[in-house]
Amino acid sequence: MVVQPGIPQPDRQHPQTERKDSSLKGTFAAVLLLGAFIVVCWFAVFSLFVSRG
Amino acid sequence: MTTEKTLSLRDRQVDQATSRLSLAYLFVAFSAFGIAALAGMLQAMVRGGLITLPGGINYYQILTAHGVLLGLVFTTFFIIGFLFSGMARTTGGSLPVAARSLGWSGWSLMVAGTLMGTVTILQNDASVLYTFYAPMKASPLFYIGMALVVVGSWVAGWGIFAAYRRWRRDHQGSTSPLFAFMAVATMLLWQIATLGVAIEVLFQLIPWSLGWVPEVNVLLSRTLFWYFGHPLVYFWLMPAYISWYINIPKIIGGRIFSDSLARLSFVLLILFSIPVGFHHQLMEPGISAGWKLVHVILTLTVVIPSLMTAFSLFAVFETTGRAKGGRGLFGWFGKLPWKDVRFFAPMVGMLMFIPAGTGGIINASNQLNAVVHNTIWVTGHFHLTVGTSVALTFFGIAYWLIPALTGRRLTSTVNRLGILQTVFWTVGMLLMSGAMHYLGLQGAPRRTDYTTYFDHSTALGWMPYQQLMGIGGLFLFLASVLLIGILIYLGFFAPKGFTEYPIGENGDTAEVTPRILERWPLWIGLSAFLIAVAYGYPIYELIQHAPPGSPPIRTW
Repeated sequence: MVVQPGIPQPDRQHPQTERKDSSLKGTFAAVLLLGAFIVVCWFAVFSLFVSRG
Repeated sequence: MTTEKTLSLRDRQVDQATSRLSLAYLFVAFSAFGIAALAGMLQAMVRGGLITLPGGINYYQILTAHGVLLGLVFTTFFIIGFLFSGMARTTGGSLPVAARSLGWSGWSLMVAGTLMGTVTILQNDASVLYTFYAPMKASPLFYIGMALVVVGSWVAGWGIFAAYRRWRRDHQGSTSPLFAFMAVATMLLWQIATLGVAIEVLFQLIPWSLGWVPEVNVLLSRTLFWYFGHPLVYFWLMPAYISWYINIPKIIGGRIFSDSLARLSFVLLILFSIPVGFHHQLMEPGISAGWKLVHVILTLTVVIPSLMTAFSLFAVFETTGRAKGGRGLFGWFGKLPWKDVRFFAPMVGMLMFIPAGTGGIINASNQLNAVVHNTIWVTGHFHLTVGTSVALTFFGIAYWLIPALTGRRLTSTVNRLGILQTVFWTVGMLLMSGAMHYLGLQGAPRRTDYTTYFDHSTALGWMPYQQLMGIGGLFLFLASVLLIGILIYLGFFAPKGFTEYPIGENGDTAEVTPRILERWPLWIGLSAFLIAVAYGYPIYELIQHAPPGSPPIRTW
């Protein structure tokens, strides 16, 4: 592959990763935060509905 | 590198014949995008009270041009062009002759339809918005044009199927490449979903607009439209997901998290994105609450494949970021290649999909829908989904796809300009869509020209936010001009060279993809069953107990 200036190239020092030996703690935390965001927004609009009812 | 070597490297990715086909689709897509972006900017400025349109041009005319050219034309042409290129890239570098012929036939039909539709809109004979709701009546040529676009896209889809069939025939017993599987799933969803709008246009709107029948069953026409309208959103999203699942891992130096999970999410999208249209009609009379509930439940089911996609992407980012030295709970996030536009633009799109998808869940919940229905919140919502998540992903793809197909290089200057373009687009959309969401919650309606409602105090309170929408529209137009300039440069003037067509590899080599995921008759059968359950009886009722028909109305 030709190196293109300014375009970061795949890291040769750290070859493409195998999933098995890697931690997914951050992924777990991220999906929990995502779920919490959905719940908070849902209840915020629901409270508007209730207050206008 | 010599020209011959460059050409040979390019042809090893996608051959010249397929490149030409794919580029023809992209050319129409971005031409439509340019006109639609201008219409969008004018519209935002008018609604913001910042300008008035010069003589003869009506707000609803440019609103229709914006919606049709972006929502229907830009997306469909881009998607088909992208899918043809990826099919060739992952099935040996070329398409069978039959697939290319179908591709060109589809392109011709779609171009003819687009021209007919555009001309009628410009003549102010079709200011019916992109949903073309009856009883507003456009010129028959508008409906015939839209029908040609849909039929052309079916023919192009058959081209994708032909390429897939050839690969399966030549590799019996093997699992198909992930891109090919996903391209087939996307076009399959499209073929099933467009049946609704095809029936509406062919059997209701065209005869009615020609005066062959005096009245139209409005509720049935809207139901058939939304049978198509919601999976249309997934037709936009699935190619973006393809890029997130397949191109992005390669671009960031990682691997695909799970081939099986990716395929399963697409199967679920085929099953659950169609029998859900009533959540767009929650406030409409004539459909019983029980059937609306069925559709709401199925709508919330279709959230699952999107959440699976979010999990899978976080996992790819974390494993790749940790391999590059990221530590702690979120240290991997900073290790991602933020200065590479091929990653940056789609990644901003992915992040914006978090509020976009959340808004979708709110829209689909009955009581919450009562708060936002027909308000400008909904406009803000789809400017986050299709206007940001999908659009930024398509821009990110175009930055590498066009030079990869033309045998040119994505230079470092273009990379920097692309990042700037993404920032302008994001700022514009945050201002515009943010203001729309806020105004919608205050009750400001969508699909309306600028008005102060006789200087009513509530409406006057909306004006600063409507001006913000106009300013957002200016940023978006600036980003659009920059994008078109960059793409013209990449297509015709960038230095000759090689640009990679990135295709990720599966990270879990021990994983065996279940064969059942590729048993299309099973998924088509299940999809037909769910559609029959969700729509069979309600449509029977809409015909048997039809509301009074409506004669055509011209509201402009």
